Amino acid sequence: MTVLPLAIAAVPRLRRFASASRRPPPWIVSWLQVSPLAFVLVVLFALPTLLFVVVSFWDYDRTGIYPAFILDNYRDLLTTPATIRVYVSSLAFAVIVWAVTLFFGFNIAHFLIFHVRSAAIRTLLFLLCAIPFWTSGIIRTIAWIPFLGRNGAFNQIAMGLGLTSKPLDFLLFSSFAVIITYVNLFTLLMVGPIANSMAKIDPALIEAARDAGASRWRIMIEVIIPLSKTGIALGSILVFTQVMGDFFVVKQMSGGQSASIVSTLATEIQAMQYPPAAASAVVLVIFVALMVAGMMRVVDVRKELVK
Amino acid sequence: MMRLATNQATQRTVVEPRFDVELVAVTKRYDRTVAVDAISLRIPRASYCCLLGPSGCGKTSTLRMIAGHEIVTDGDILIRDRNVTDLPTARRGTAMMFQNYALFPHLNCLDNVAFSLKMRGVGKAERHARAREFLELVEMAEFAPRLPAQLSGGQQQRIALARSLITEPQVLLLDEPLSALDPFLRVRMREELKRLQRELGITFIHVTHSQDEAMALADLMVVMDQGQIRQAGTPRQIFEAPANVFIARFIGGHNVLPGPRGLVAVRADRCRIGQAGNGAHSSGRVVAVEYQGPVVRVSLQMQSGEQAAALLPDNTYFAAPVQPGDPATLVWSEADAHPVTVS
Amino acid sequence: MMVGGQSYQTAGRGRPWTFYALAGLFGFFLLFLYGPMLVIYLLSFQGPNGGVTFPMVGTSLVWFEDILKPGQMANIPVSFGRSIALAAIVSVLTVVISVAAGLAFRRRFPGSGVLFYLAVASLVMPSLLVGFGVGLGFKALGAKPSLFTSALGAQLTWTLPFGLFAMFAVVNRFNRAYEEAANDLGATAWQRLRHVTLPILLPGIIGVAMGAFTLSYDEYARTTLVIGERNTLPLEIYALISSATSPTLFAIGTVTTGVSFLIIGITLWRIVRLQRRRAGRAPS
Repeated sequence: MTVLPLAIAAVPRLRRFASASRRPPPWIVSWLQVSPLAFVLVVLFALPTLLFVVVSFWDYDRTGIYPAFILDNYRDLLTTPATIRVYVSSLAFAVIVWAVTLFFGFNIAHFLIFHVRSAAIRTLLFLLCAIPFWTSGIIRTIAWIPFLGRNGAFNQIAMGLGLTSKPLDFLLFSSFAVIITYVNLFTLLMVGPIANSMAKIDPALIEAARDAGASRWRIMIEVIIPLSKTGIALGSILVFTQVMGDFFVVKQMSGGQSASIVSTLATEIQAMQYPPAAASAVVLVIFVALMVAGMMRVVDVRKELVK
Repeated sequence: MMRLATNQATQRTVVEPRFDVELVAVTKRYDRTVAVDAISLRIPRASYCCLLGPSGCGKTSTLRMIAGHEIVTDGDILIRDRNVTDLPTARRGTAMMFQNYALFPHLNCLDNVAFSLKMRGVGKAERHARAREFLELVEMAEFAPRLPAQLSGGQQQRIALARSLITEPQVLLLDEPLSALDPFLRVRMREELKRLQRELGITFIHVTHSQDEAMALADLMVVMDQGQIRQAGTPRQIFEAPANVFIARFIGGHNVLPGPRGLVAVRADRCRIGQAGNGAHSSGRVVAVEYQGPVVRVSLQMQSGEQAAALLPDNTYFAAPVQPGDPATLVWSEADAHPVTVS
Repeated sequence: MMVGGQSYQTAGRGRPWTFYALAGLFGFFLLFLYGPMLVIYLLSFQGPNGGVTFPMVGTSLVWFEDILKPGQMANIPVSFGRSIALAAIVSVLTVVISVAAGLAFRRRFPGSGVLFYLAVASLVMPSLLVGFGVGLGFKALGAKPSLFTSALGAQLTWTLPFGLFAMFAVVNRFNRAYEEAANDLGATAWQRLRHVTLPILLPGIIGVAMGAFTLSYDEYARTTLVIGERNTLPLEIYALISSATSPTLFAIGTVTTGVSFLIIGITLWRIVRLQRRRAGRAPS
């Protein structure tokens, strides 16, 4: 009975197998470390998502909801003109906001990384941009109301400076207000990733391009923009998903002229009409997923973030 | 020859282990690549051993396997006749000095040095006292309260040394300890390391890619290439008689030329520019002339196709200077030509 | 911290015109960013007879006092306390879970890809839908949603991805040689974690804690459907907006901003002090 262990102990090469079990394989250690995260993501995100996918096929009426497998919710949702309208309007907002935040975000990032020479000032300026983020989105949204209203600060200043004779009406409770608010809230989401990408550009590349005779404009097009692609893509993903998923800003700032996909959803939830709400949610998720997947083709997200 | 000694604790006569470190057919495989290919080596007691070779030759992997930071794929490692192959790092009797010193940035020098004692549960007063002793040993006592970031490279290295030595290792492993230093500091630290090794009477295993460093320091020089040991011996043995073409080229200062019975290696400083006489010679053309102070290096392109060089004492050169483009004949004495194998 | 700062040189003559153009744009952007907030700060000092827009009818602290009086619709100090408590718990949980996960992701392990993309999905998923799903789940289990269960969980789906990606950046800068040195010197796995890994990662960890706290404190979209009966501050404000519009709202905004500033300011200051101490004062 003791022959085998003795044999193992005697032959050095075999001894390895006896003691290998003492050290746990690395992937087990990783799994133990990552299990809380996995637990939260699966139980509080993946399963609930699955849940509303399931519920989207259920039946409902005025008194309650019933497990079933029907496609009525989807049919109703996708054939209503209101749905198309609200998606188009949300998409329009998203595209406009994306363009504006990209413009601001790119130029600000470019300014901070390439034009500001002192690291201390750069950090300070970046902090200045980030500070408003520490206030809740709700407050920052309603902050626009006294600013843009007919008697608001902007109109007062504009009239005081003689720019207009009558207060401007379109400023508040309009699509303009919605877009302004989105830009205010989400530009930082562009500045951050783009600045990050730009900072990683090796300065020697720019110098080499300059040596080769490239004008600053060409350097921008040939060197800086391609190398900031990742940041632009990441920022775009963040801005798009935030706009498409918003329910508060549109409600507050559009004066009832526009709806957002999610605010309609929220109304249905308040009315306890879970199946159609769920169907709406699923359609939105698929839509957003397709857009994000499209944007992720530009950048290997995993490599960028885990690197 | 066995060495006998008396075990002080038991007053019994014991056989002392002959070697500090023994590698027995040690292999390291990463997926498909073989980084270290079944090497065997015996390092005598209290010797300074240098592992030398180009990048990727496996010297660092070997060092890390001895330390226990890499798992051995196959083979055994013995330290003073104790098989440590499966033992964790801390129980092997080794200590490692990392390439960038890896001093804990959040601890001051004193706490860095005292770290291993703290891990063992030694009380604060005692471990601080011990740490100060070792700081004295490396002449860094007044730096005790400083943080590593406040130290220069050379100073950091001494702290790293003290931190390793406080564990009273039987073998000290150094991973390219001098690479990060400027040339002047490098030479000074070299002398210190050698002195320390003599004083402490333990084995140092020092990985480097610099031949000069290895030749200056080593009692035992081990030249590696592609996971194998190509030659091991004293620096003099290797320099006087390189075993193969790789060694001759890597060590430097040798010409590899075709001889009557195969390739031979001849030391460049034993070659002269002269007339083709009865002795060994080879014709070629001067490609470059480099003044190096005490010697002048004349590079030649030989007719047989190789490149060669002659290291001439300055007087000899300036007595009969040659210029790039001149035809020249390399001459040497047969006694200085050593046959080398191709691989 | 960002590197960069390779500015355009124009043969020593000073800044190119683009510098001034971009500086101008930046200045305009800052104004745009802060403008409305400044209006709010101003209006919170509105006189007792003033309304929610200009002009200011005198100045007073009346609206600040109003915060402390529990009204029928809103109870600000209590919801403030809840927000702080929830944010503290979310912050601690996020730190512990993200740090562990960040260390795990140093190797490729089976399922690491799936988990990573799950985290990304959790981040970009429209917030209300997450709350919807969690709410449905609780209903299905017959449990009542509440502050420290469902709301906490929903907020974690938001803070954990941020924490995870922040930890990636921190852990990537971490040199494994420190851990090997600790092994070499006899540390067990726990000793290594406690005395080497965590202390060195500390500035990053504090950053994650602070970030998570802020994210939780300001969060409303994920929690609104699963908050149960006891509102956090953003949700109280949300309720206030629909019912009463008075400068009290602005006073609340001023106060909450002040609190955010305070917390983040203190944390940043501590991080800077920590890093400065560790970087020493010697020239590199």
